[in-house]
This record gives sequence, structure tokens and C-alpha cells, in this order.
Amino acid sequence: MATALPPRSAQLASISRRTTRLPRRDAAARAHLEEVGRHTRPVSLAHERALELGPSLAALVSRGTLPRGSVVRVAGAPGAGVTTLGLELAAACTGVGEWVAVVDPAGSLGALAAREAGVALERFAVVRRVPPARWASVVAALVDGVSLVLADLPAGGVGVADARRLVARARERETVLVVGERWPADAALTLHARGSEWDVVGDVTGEMHHLTERRLHVHAEARSGAREGWLARAG
Amino acid sequence: MEEPALPAEPVRTAVLRCPDWPVTAARRREPALVGVPVTVVDRGQRGLRVVAASAEARAEGVTRGLRRREAEARCAGLVVLDVDDAGDARAFEEVARAVEEFVPHLVLHEPGALSFATRGPSRYFGGDDALAQLVLDTVAGLGITDATVGIAAGVFAAGLAASRSLVVERGGTVAFLAAWPVSVLAGPVEASYGDGAALVDLLARLGLRTLGDYAALPESAVAARFGPPGLLAHRLARGEPGHEPLAREVPPELVETMELDPPATRVDEAAFAAKALADRLLGRLDAMGCCCTRVVVEAETEHGERLTRCWRHEGALTPSTLVARVRWQLEAWLVASDSGVAAPGATAADAADAEMVTGGLTVLRLAPDDVIPATGRQLGFWGGDPAAADRAGRALARVQALLGPDAVATALPVGGRTPLERVRWVPWGDARDDTPDGASAAPPWPGAVPGPAPARVFDPPVPAALLDARGAPVVVSGRGDVSAPPAALDCAALPGGGGPLVAWAGPWAHDLRWWSQRRRRVLWQVVVDARADGRSHQVACLVAVERGHAAVEALYD
Repeated sequence: MATALPPRSAQLASISRRTTRLPRRDAAARAHLEEVGRHTRPVSLAHERALELGPSLAALVSRGTLPRGSVVRVAGAPGAGVTTLGLELAAACTGVGEWVAVVDPAGSLGALAAREAGVALERFAVVRRVPPARWASVVAALVDGVSLVLADLPAGGVGVADARRLVARARERETVLVVGERWPADAALTLHARGSEWDVVGDVTGEMHHLTERRLHVHAEARSGAREGWLARAG
Repeated sequence: MEEPALPAEPVRTAVLRCPDWPVTAARRREPALVGVPVTVVDRGQRGLRVVAASAEARAEGVTRGLRRREAEARCAGLVVLDVDDAGDARAFEEVARAVEEFVPHLVLHEPGALSFATRGPSRYFGGDDALAQLVLDTVAGLGITDATVGIAAGVFAAGLAASRSLVVERGGTVAFLAAWPVSVLAGPVEASYGDGAALVDLLARLGLRTLGDYAALPESAVAARFGPPGLLAHRLARGEPGHEPLAREVPPELVETMELDPPATRVDEAAFAAKALADRLLGRLDAMGCCCTRVVVEAETEHGERLTRCWRHEGALTPSTLVARVRWQLEAWLVASDSGVAAPGATAADAADAEMVTGGLTVLRLAPDDVIPATGRQLGFWGGDPAAADRAGRALARVQALLGPDAVATALPVGGRTPLERVRWVPWGDARDDTPDGASAAPPWPGAVPGPAPARVFDPPVPAALLDARGAPVVVSGRGDVSAPPAALDCAALPGGGGPLVAWAGPWAHDLRWWSQRRRRVLWQVVVDARADGRSHQVACLVAVERGHAAVEALYD
């Protein structure tokens, strides 16, 4: 466990101590130790504690990363791009070898769209058709085990007490919890899908060849401020 | 629990092997296949490959590892079957029961191979040769004529002896082993450390061609040059047990028990319980720094019957290999008792044997046998954290326990034309027989909907109305002619209930079930100008029209 190791600052201090004590002629060993020091520098600490987002979403959040243990609310009307935003977050998570679980009460998630968004399907588990009474316990179990949970809210909504418990649990387990618009508790980041514009290539009568590209208008609202942006995606 | 064997003197063991057991098992299920060239294929890394072939097929040049297409080209009239591990295990249970009549403590390796210690039975029946003959006669009594038996010191040597149908005399095992090529070491090394072929290749390039050459090297030199995999191979080549015995006593409470209430009568119920049990057992062994190569699966039924069977794996048992073995065994107990009586070709005696299990299973127990020190495992090099996979697996298993095994799924892209057809949901934990890059979806699918995949796919589709400019529903004639270009879509799933179309593409026509009731389905991609919260935005969806009824199949959310 990480707690058993001395803190990184102590490791670093010991390395630099040894580096200065080395005899001058031992240049190779000194270079080697410098190298070790460079590797153990706490630069990676920020990476470990935050989830790095893909280039399309990185511009919308501060530092381009999502702190682990935070709750993200994704809001928008049906068809505006809510699912696409969720899949973007999932792709960022499976891309670094971690696991994502989806709670899909309606059982309507399109897996091919997930693959096109860059999600590794073998690390992408979907819980389909969850009874509303079991929703909170299922999400709680998933928060314990995976790095990101995409939880569509059940038709009847979620109680405030359940929601607060889940927020606390996600923070404790360092799991990112992505929820829908009607989430009754607070969220660190809210992504509003403001609708999209499709590339309609064709003649004036409205006939096109087929759907190609879309630009998704996203409004991101965090405690640090709000940002607007466009997400260009095929699908 | 057995005493750890001394390294110098492995237990004298007999191995019974039924070559091409999948073919034999298929013929026992389906007597019409006797005398016909048969081959069994399995989906491997690179498509369907032959795993077993009957003698008729082998005579025509069908060998293991051949591609299915190639096998069919070589042998006219070849019957190709899919691999059925569970069915093979069920059929092998009959053999195990017959041999068990006169041999205690059978160890099953896989469907088609088992081993047992010969010390007791061979004294009783008058020598190893007589015992081997007795086993062969018994198996032949079940109609299996191509089985072979080999007896030697240690399972590894006995397995080699079985491939030549030999009884190696006492004290002659080392000499017997010396003549074998080093390539026979690939299997055991592969099972414990992976990449056995690389080690064998290296040995051959160093001029060590036989086990005798390799065994002659000093052990310290082997350890320095080839590491743990080389040491394992070296011990096997010298005729010693492959793994070092455990230096400490194994605590008896490692046995994991689970009571099943209500009693499990179906294999998937029992197998689901077994999975949790296997995880617990291996987790506790792991915490002790141990692993096991043999496990005793034990079950009790409602009527107090007690069933026991021991399974062995070449390397240390992993969760997946352990669960596979437990599942095979449950299949053999539960399904054989249901269908064994009615199976075609089963005699009355078979039926009496098969009725061993008369009720559901109430207790399931896993006891590790042959516990060995763990050889350590390699962590993922590029940040892949095996602990994360375990953690995720446990969480998902908990959800499966809450909602049932089918509730958690992973998606497998398959061939098809609509977004609904192009995904198969595989229950979590089942094999995802995945082909890289979704190659199974590769064949051309005329009429497939092009463009990006929709993020929401409705099953069943949501009823809608696709209207033309005059407000009449758009219909499609039997010839595929469209009555008028669509102009508006009304659907409850869209914000604001739908609206006028901005653009449309299609139609893509599909003939469904043309061989029975001809049905024509037509798909459109439409972009609707929908109004929600006083703002209008574009919503793209996929609309199907079938028999005059329109429905929204998918939403590009």
C-alpha cells in the first residue's frame, strides 16, 4: 500500500542527500541517481489524483483534468448530446487502463457509439434495466469498484439522502460519478449540452447523403467559473 | 491433505488419456457421427482453428491448429462442430466414474485426461501392467477404444508415457525422460510462467536438444541463466516434481464452504455461487503467498448424497481456470442427472449410473490440494493495475448478486445493419470471444446505415409519425418506392414532441425474413428542428417505417 512507503518528499530528500555526498569522480553513479530522482519527483502526483480528459473536453475544465472523487452533472434535453458527453468522460477513463461502469435503467445505451468515442469495451460494464428501488445500492456497489460510474437517473428520480450518501462515497473511494440533470445533491462540475449542429450536406430540398459530423455546444459550469465550448464529433 | 512429496521421489502415477476427446464425446452424443470424418473447432486468436479431429479426418491430413477453411478443403464431407467444453466434461464424467470403481483419488486434468497414484491399486491388481490393462479394458467397455495409459514416476513423465502407451519400469523414469526433445517442456512452462515456446526455442538454439542434455547442466547454472521458468523445466527434465514443496504446513481451514439456500438445481445458479467461492479461496491462498495446482470440488445434495472430484491444472490455478473446472464438474453432476437418462445411446446401466444426483445441491465446498509457494506474478508494465481489475470484478459480481447474473453486461460488436442488430450483450464474466477490431462485423452488410453510431438505441423502438409536406404519413410500397419526401416527425421521445425536418437521408431498405413472411423495413436518418425550453435545436434520429408504422429506433444523443 502507498501508506507503507515514506512520503515522496522524504524519498527525494534522501536521494538528493546521497547525490551530494557522492565523491566527485563517481559521475556515472551521480547521473544515475539524478535520473532516479527525476522519475520519483512528485510531478506524477497530480496525474494520480486526477483524471486527464481528452483534448475535446480538456479545454472546458480547469487544468484539463477532473479531480477523482468528484461528481459531474451532465444536463440537457434528449438528443442534445448528454450521452455523448458521458461517453467522452468514459473514454478518457478506459484510455488509461481503468474501468468504467454504466447504470442504464432504460437499457438504451448504444455500445457502438461508445466504441466510436474511444471507449475500450472490455473494460466497460453496463448494468441494464435496474429496478428504481435498487438504483442507489447498485451505484454504491459500483462506486466501490471502478474508477468512473456513468449513472443515468431512474425515472422516479433519486432521494436527497441517497444522493448525498453517494457523493460522500464517491469522494472517499476517489471515483468519478457522472449523473443526470435531476441530481438533487451538489456537483463539482456541470456540463450543459446546449444542442448540436449537424453537418447537413445536400441540396436545398433537405436531402443529404447521410449524417456525418456534428458540433456540440457545451457550457461547463464549475466552482471556479463557467466556460463555453464546441465539441466536434462524428456522432 | 497429502504430505508434500520429497523432491527426489515423485509419486508413481498413471495417466489415462483419450486423444481427441471432443470428437469422441460428440460421437457419444450423436451416434450418427461414427465413421464420418469429424473435426471440432474453437475460436482462437486468429479465427476458427481445429482442436480435435477424428481418425478419418486425420487420414486426409486434418491436423490440430489448421484453419477451418483449410480443413474443409483437405477433407471432403468433413463435419465441423463447435467446441463444447461442458458437453465434453459431462461425457468424461462417465469415464471417471467407471475408473473410480477400482481406483481411489482420481485427479481430472481436463475433459479427456485423468491421473491417479498407482501404489495401492497396482499392488492389489498384480502390477502396473495389469493395472494399465484393466483400465484400458474398463474404458473399452464404455466404447472408447483409442484411449492410452502411461505409468511413470510423476505426472509429467506419466503424461509422456501415455502418449506412447508405455509403462515405464520402476527407477527407469529418468532414463525414459532423457531421450525426449526439449519441446515437451513448453506446455508446463507456459502454464506456470507463460511463453514456454521462447524458452524451448532458446534451449534448442543453445544445442540442448533433449531432456537428458538439459538435465545434465548444473542446477545453479540453470538458475543463473534461465531464471525460474528454466528451473521448473530443469526439475521436470530430471524427473522431479515441478514445483518446490511448501516449506510450511497448510492450515486445514482453507476449505471454503457455501450453503445454497434454496438448493441449486441449475448449473448457472451453482456456477455463480462457485465463482464467489473460488475468488475467496484464491484470495486467501494469495494472502499466504501460496497457490494451488489441484482443487477438490465437493457438493452435497438435498438427499444427503456427497459428491467429490479432484481437478488439476498444469500451472497454478487462476480464478478463471478454477471456475472453468468447477463449472465443468457441476455440469457433469447436474446435467448428467437430468438428461443422461434420455441421452440417445444410453444403456440402462448408464441411466442407473447417471442418476447419481437426485436433488438440488445444498452445499458446495472447494478444498485446495497440493498447495505450492506462489511463483509471483508480473504486474502490468504500462500502468495496467491488476488490482484494479480485481476490484472492478468484485464490485460487478456484487451487482450481479443483487440483480442476477444477466443484469451486468459488456458489449460485443457483431455484424448487422441497424444499431440494435450490431451489438450483442454478453453477461459479465462470460467469455467475450473477441476478435480484434471487430473483425466479425467485417462481411459487407448491404443496407447498413452509414455514418456515426447513435448513442441511444431504443429496444423496443418508440412509436412515431413520419409525415410528408401535406401532413400525410410517409409510406413505402412493396417495391421500395416512397410516397413523398418526409417533412416532419412527431415522437414522444423527442423534446417538444418533435417538429419539422431540417434534413433527411435514406431510405435504406431491408427485406426481413424473405423466406417466410416477407416484410420490408425502411430506415431514414432525419434531423429534426425540435423546440425545448423555448430554444430550438437540432436533434438527429433514426426512423424505421415498417407496414405503414413509423418508429424512432435510435437517437444521436
